[in-house]
Amino acid sequence: MIKKQSVGIWMNVAVVLLTLVSLIVYGVNISSEGYFKNAAVSNLILYGVLAIVMLIMVIVLAQVKVSDSVQLAVEIVSGILRIAAPVLLTLGLVTLVSARAEGLGFIFFSNEDVLLEVQTAANMSSATGTIVNMVCLGISAIAAMAAAFFSTKKKDA
Amino acid sequence: MKTKKIAPAMRGLAAVTASVMALSIVGADIADGYRARIDSALGTQSYVTKNDEDSARFVSDYATFEEMKAAAKDIAVREGEEGTVIMKNDNDVLPLSGKSVALFGLAAYVPYPYAQKDLKAGNEDAVNLVQAFTDAGVEINQTVMDFYQKNILNEHIEEVENKWTGEKEKQVAYDNIYVSAPGDMATYQINEVPPSEYESLGAPADWKSKINKDETVGICVFARGAGEGNTYAPGSATDRAGKETGADPLALSADELAVVDAAKETCSQVVVLINSGNTMVLKEIAEGGAHEVDGIAYIGCLNDYQATGVVNVLTGNVNATGALPDTYVADNASIPAVMNFGGGYYADYESIGRNGDDPRYPGVEIANTEAGSFGGSDTYNGGTYVVEAEGIYVGYKYFETRYYDAVANPDSGANSAAGATQAAAWDYNNEVLYDFGHGLSYLDYAQNLKSVEVDKTADGNITAVVELKNNSDQDGTFLAQLYVQQPYTEYDKENHVEKSAVMFLNSAKTEVAAGKTEEVTITIPTKYLASYDYTNAKTYILDEGDYYFTAAAGSHEAVNNILAEQGYTVKDGMDAEASGAVQTWKLDEFDNTTFAVENGTEVTNVAEEADLNYWTEEETVTYLSRQDWEGTYPINYNEVEIKVGDSPKSEEWIAELRGETYTIQTDDPAKEGKDQGIRFDTATIQPNQMEDINDPVWDELVAEITIDEAVGAVIHGGSQTDKLTNVENPIVNQNEGVSGFTAAYEDKESGETYRFNVHSQTLLGSSFNPQLAYDWGRVEGNSGLWLQRYHLWGTGLTQRRTPYNGRNYEYISEDPMLTNRMGYGILQGCADMGILNGPKHMGFNDQEHNRGGISAYMHEQKFRETDLRCFQGGLEDADGMAVMIAFNRIGATNASHHVGMLQDILRNEWAFTGLISTDMMNNKYYFNPESMIMAGITQVADFATEDNHINMGENGADATWMHISEDTVKNDAALVEQARENLKYQLYTFANSAVMNVSTERVMTWWDIALKTITYVSGALAVASAAAWIVLTVQSGKKATTKKKEESES
Repeated sequence: MIKKQSVGIWMNVAVVLLTLVSLIVYGVNISSEGYFKNAAVSNLILYGVLAIVMLIMVIVLAQVKVSDSVQLAVEIVSGILRIAAPVLLTLGLVTLVSARAEGLGFIFFSNEDVLLEVQTAANMSSATGTIVNMVCLGISAIAAMAAAFFSTKKKDA
Repeated sequence: MKTKKIAPAMRGLAAVTASVMALSIVGADIADGYRARIDSALGTQSYVTKNDEDSARFVSDYATFEEMKAAAKDIAVREGEEGTVIMKNDNDVLPLSGKSVALFGLAAYVPYPYAQKDLKAGNEDAVNLVQAFTDAGVEINQTVMDFYQKNILNEHIEEVENKWTGEKEKQVAYDNIYVSAPGDMATYQINEVPPSEYESLGAPADWKSKINKDETVGICVFARGAGEGNTYAPGSATDRAGKETGADPLALSADELAVVDAAKETCSQVVVLINSGNTMVLKEIAEGGAHEVDGIAYIGCLNDYQATGVVNVLTGNVNATGALPDTYVADNASIPAVMNFGGGYYADYESIGRNGDDPRYPGVEIANTEAGSFGGSDTYNGGTYVVEAEGIYVGYKYFETRYYDAVANPDSGANSAAGATQAAAWDYNNEVLYDFGHGLSYLDYAQNLKSVEVDKTADGNITAVVELKNNSDQDGTFLAQLYVQQPYTEYDKENHVEKSAVMFLNSAKTEVAAGKTEEVTITIPTKYLASYDYTNAKTYILDEGDYYFTAAAGSHEAVNNILAEQGYTVKDGMDAEASGAVQTWKLDEFDNTTFAVENGTEVTNVAEEADLNYWTEEETVTYLSRQDWEGTYPINYNEVEIKVGDSPKSEEWIAELRGETYTIQTDDPAKEGKDQGIRFDTATIQPNQMEDINDPVWDELVAEITIDEAVGAVIHGGSQTDKLTNVENPIVNQNEGVSGFTAAYEDKESGETYRFNVHSQTLLGSSFNPQLAYDWGRVEGNSGLWLQRYHLWGTGLTQRRTPYNGRNYEYISEDPMLTNRMGYGILQGCADMGILNGPKHMGFNDQEHNRGGISAYMHEQKFRETDLRCFQGGLEDADGMAVMIAFNRIGATNASHHVGMLQDILRNEWAFTGLISTDMMNNKYYFNPESMIMAGITQVADFATEDNHINMGENGADATWMHISEDTVKNDAALVEQARENLKYQLYTFANSAVMNVSTERVMTWWDIALKTITYVSGALAVASAAAWIVLTVQSGKKATTKKKEESES
């Protein structure tokens, strides 16, 4: 069964996992001590969860055997989900960047003489966390776009 | 087969292009929010400024760039000439008069802040001390200079990795240099290279023999660093090896003294130059010190051209007229304010935090630790406090009053051990090395107060005529300083009104020909003669009795003049005879009415809650009083257990510490703003309306602003003003720079780039010349017109409460009135050119340590007569148009929430009509939006631009404060109307500034066009590829079905 999965399926699984990791990193980042503690980002979780749900649906739909008449509808629905998922991940990334720009500006680009005050260990760790979060989300979005080019149909036995 | 392959490609393309479209649409919105910063980074211009020079209200005094540049340089040189203070001058060491010099000390070659790139202009033609000596024709010992420059300092270019981009960046570095920033109450390394290391670092073994001792004056220059977020910690010095010495970081270190000794050994005479914004401890080199030198001079912090002026003084090219803006003591521990410095936590500070039950921030755990002014964790930042128990006795007001009482009122305990650091009993001459206002003149002169007239009306002035007699055979400039002693009466003693034995009022300089006498007239508003009685009259009072005025070269000479006038002599304990005349003005009756109303506002207590005793309802704090120096000398109130929870007013106290100064009301609907056709332009607002804030047109204009924008524009003031719908106000960018606009001017004709921020606050302070302050203000204003920048945070007027504040280099003096007069000059100069120059940081930014929330407790006499008085000259007496509020708390209340300071005093008593900005807001739990609006803040500072809305966050709420939304504020008419009122002041100020010279028009930058193009192209491609994918998928499906049918049929 596993061996029969196509590249498209594997890529979508990878995107789901990466998105999940992004959300976990986000959760850890806003619950850890530091600059971005409790700094929730509007709609980020919504975008991420929706993208995961959509991609899981894509994976599930690829496993289901349906009659030819329904197959076309399934393909269209699956395709729309695969177009929408990277859009949501991109929106999540942009929202995150927007919410964090000012904070990162404070931490990294303040006047030289206040860096001591700004670049505390907790703040630097928080900034690193948020950058990792951005990188994960960015990779997820790009991988989701790439996955949309591949078929999710199972290989013939 | 073909369609089967193309369809997924189309789907993939649709996914990519749709994502790009989403990215460009949302990205464009974000970019809009940071437009000013993106423009600055990319060199683009989103707004075209149109300037009709023919109708411009404010026009530069300078016709050409060369003239403008020359004016800036001229002021900087004058600051050096007028601000250099000759503190000690024995054996005629100064002026140098043809002698050669040997320069010792790292700062002799790299004066502070030359090693700190942020703090000076850095123009290519900057003149350091070496260049200035060379330009003046003074021969510098080459051997010493060579080994300092080539071996010890070894200026070189270093490649440093940019931690953000990873790229290598070049920056100037030195092998050995003083530490530029003391850090946040950390240890401070005094990194002076001692002579014992000279040879190992490359100095020739015979360097001493290369100095012609008889013909050479050794000049040692020592610096101390400074900076934002920096505070010196008493006893924190480390030596060059990094070993803690336990010494004061502001005292000369053993290594520095070794340099002095080497200079003494190799040169016939030695002068030490103090290159610092922080008052240093010079006991070892002063008279009687183990390392006594011939001369000491204060040279402040040098910007690009001040060194030329400094050398002009040292060589005697001009007379020395600078005076000390601070008292220099033998030990900083003798300063009563130092007893309470740095602060500490309340015993129960943690209990003020909340576990997710603050209704404004449901579910958020908010602590109460100090997180610094730049945020970093969820905290009210209300855990620490400092008690300013010294009251009005800051700097010379303490030392001179205690000296006066030691002579005139010995029963006051003035000679007791309290506060004595040099002997068992307190003695002025043991504790004070150089008094406030001290400064030696090369040319012999005398100043005598000829007459004083006091106009005792609310708007009246004191007019003093001082006679300056030049006893020398050279023409020169001389400084006259006016002092007063107010009566200290039984009423004062009963009601805890404190009086300094002497108070500086104002000063002036004038040129006097050799052997001649000139009169100089000094004026000062009479209101500054009044004292604030916070316990009984609860307003300003003038005591009955004699007011003694005198002109003197420093506060100590002034006290001695007054003591002599009162019949005291050396036999009574005076340390010198009088040197000048005293004029007496007598007030027959106690007056608690003349200054009880100001600008139509009743003056009464507005800051009782700033007193810790208000909260404890006990005499927890004993404030320093001259009635009993010993019994009231401050203890450290951070060693007393203060529990907020034990207070009878604990609920109210905790609410303040949590920033709940104001609670949003829910039962009084606000009016929504509607377009009434009034616009912010000269077509709508007539000239007579422009200058009258009470004209109804201003209320009508701001009534147009929507609820969303009224609240949003205040609480998201940003770093530039936002365009308000219906108002069409211009965009105004804010600029930084206590030394002037930091932006570079590019001359189109020559291609030359130049920075006009060439000013030195420290040397302006020690110039004691309000006219120079005005001249600088005017040049600063002119530079704004040249740069087309109209709003600047361009001076610092906080009182220097102690020598340890890392921001002292931005401020003027320990004295409120000297700061007041300098502030008057700078702000009036800028205002006359139409430039908004906002002084920093009103409201007791007495230390940078924990500045983002520490509670500074004090009584109301201190509140009104110290830091606020520093700002009053510029904001009430002059036409100052902006002010930035301190980060800290006054009492338990965030200074930006303090209705008493901002509404009652600033807006009402002082009738200030300008902008009131917070410092950089970066802790939403400390800065509370509704409280700031109600206190009158016109704009909350942050990095963003064009975000003047309260619906940009989750669920249509505010993006920063989740409890703020249109729904939550629309039923609080008072809040919304106050927000509009605050914006009225902002718009009114712009209308009366050079902003009205110009109109701004939004244009499309290349990146706007690129983003739009990407949106449209990716959108079109997304639609086309999605459509192609659907068509191809359907076709492929049909084909497959047909094929299957055919296969099954066959």
